[in-house]
Amino acid sequence: MKTKEFKWHILFIVIILIALYPIIYAVSTSFKSLNESFNNILSLIPEEPTTSAYQRVLSIIPFFKITLNTFIIASIVTLFKLITGVLAAYSFVFLDFKGKKWLYFVLISTIFIPFTVTMIPNFITISRLGLKDNIIGVAIPQLADATGIFLLRQHMRGVPKSLLEVAKLEKTPHVTILRTIVVPIIRPAILSMGIIFFINSWNEFVWPSLILKSTENYTLSLALQMFVSAEGGTDIPVAMAISVLTMLLPLVIYAFCQKFIINTFAQSGIKG
Amino acid sequence: MYSIRFKNVNKSFGKNKIIEDLNLDIKKGERLILLGSSGCGKSTILRMISGLETITSGELYLNGELANDIDSGDRSIAMVFQNYALYPHMTVNDNVGYGLKINKTKKEERVKKVAEAIDILGLTNLENRYPRELSGGQRQRVALARAIVKKADFFLLDEPLSNLDAQLRGQARKELVKIHEMYGQTFVYVTHDQIEAMTIGHRIALLDKGHLQMLDTPHNVYHKPANIFVATFIGSPSMNIISTNIYGRYMILGKNKVELPEMWLNQIASSKAKGVKLGVRPENIILSNTPGQYSIPVTVRYVEDYGNRVGFYFNIGDCYIFLDILYKFCFDTER
Repeated sequence: MKTKEFKWHILFIVIILIALYPIIYAVSTSFKSLNESFNNILSLIPEEPTTSAYQRVLSIIPFFKITLNTFIIASIVTLFKLITGVLAAYSFVFLDFKGKKWLYFVLISTIFIPFTVTMIPNFITISRLGLKDNIIGVAIPQLADATGIFLLRQHMRGVPKSLLEVAKLEKTPHVTILRTIVVPIIRPAILSMGIIFFINSWNEFVWPSLILKSTENYTLSLALQMFVSAEGGTDIPVAMAISVLTMLLPLVIYAFCQKFIINTFAQSGIKG
Repeated sequence: MYSIRFKNVNKSFGKNKIIEDLNLDIKKGERLILLGSSGCGKSTILRMISGLETITSGELYLNGELANDIDSGDRSIAMVFQNYALYPHMTVNDNVGYGLKINKTKKEERVKKVAEAIDILGLTNLENRYPRELSGGQRQRVALARAIVKKADFFLLDEPLSNLDAQLRGQARKELVKIHEMYGQTFVYVTHDQIEAMTIGHRIALLDKGHLQMLDTPHNVYHKPANIFVATFIGSPSMNIISTNIYGRYMILGKNKVELPEMWLNQIASSKAKGVKLGVRPENIILSNTPGQYSIPVTVRYVEDYGNRVGFYFNIGDCYIFLDILYKFCFDTER
């Protein structure tokens, strides 16, 4: 290996180690006993590995119910964001209607409105709907997403118009064009957007914390917060155990779908 | 019988006028070529026939029926696009059969029709390939197969050969004519390539800046051009145009004069136009050592050797003139 390359590799390895350190620390500490977690803070290898922290997690909170809550919210949000996103993007790219540009401008401008601004109106709406402390209440305000529409639109613009025109000459309905031509062609983009939506929802904290009050309705990030707050704050292995459990599913998804995610970000600005 | 008729058709995009007052009749079963340089509106005309482009004003008739507001799906149109517009996620079979499937043709019939089209275009054994696994020529054939499988009344082609290399193009021209003769639909073909226009077309509609310049057979377009644009557009290298004056029975060419035949003089006399321009195709000028009745002395400025032919450049008055002759004649004259 050339020296120049070698230097770069060293730099990358250091950067990766810095990024990975907290994760490795979390995993190793979660297998330590409470005592060891205090006596042996910096060691990355537990002396006497134990799963007691995990058992405590399961006894303190309804872990599976909470995971299921998180999964249901993330699934609903992902599915709807994709459906609404694909439909909206198709209309913006392939249909002509009055006020299209104006509508798109309004839609895109919502990207720049901070969450904190819409948080309170949304909260009031949800509580008036009687959906407080209900996972549906968490999902409802997130069923459409301007960023998603924007990205899907970029991808759809890469689909040559002539492909649709061939279909139009056969009197193909728009729904069929969408289903048999546009969606299959941009499927990698849809998949990767789905993964991103899913992981974002999975990690979401502020909004669920406003809506969900009882532990059995919690999502994983809320449950996680229970263990680093004043009450449970000293039981570090338990906090680490639930951290590990929380990131497990997104990591598995990422490992399988890495290719798509990187593609989406690499292409998002480019007209294919 | 006219199968496509444009009557005073205008098309504009915003303030941009693309087509102005187009009147064009296309006969049933003929091969009509829409020829012109890029931006002349030829593709727009094709797209108006297909209904993919609306008509700003005027009337379009298809098979005698006013078609302005007929949906493109109801016009019985098969179209081949310049980029072929094949579905990248479908096999050759699925691409060719897409329209039949959408129109709910029975499966047995669909399979039969697709197989037939694939056979005609020599795509056998490629049925299950995806477009990315095909060469440019094969893709073009798939696009054609998809169009012929429809058995539409109108067969529209938008520069279908421009993405092929020169060798394939010559072969594809012949095949297109063969396919048309097999099916005999009305065939409208857009191109900027005059060789394609001359060899494929029954008639050529030559366009410039949204105006129809001439509509006639390839032979007449070449030999009896309607105006200077047509004369210089058709033919490569293009026709020399020389501004000249008539003085009595003579045409003034630079410092020389040439006596004109009676027929020409009568034609010039009957015309009300002011100036006179002489158009001569490069291949119709003869280089000679001995002065003749219609010859004028010139000094050659520049010579280009093309191998089989030789090109000479010289001045007549202010005009820079080009002539090209077969190589062997070149040496005959020098002897």
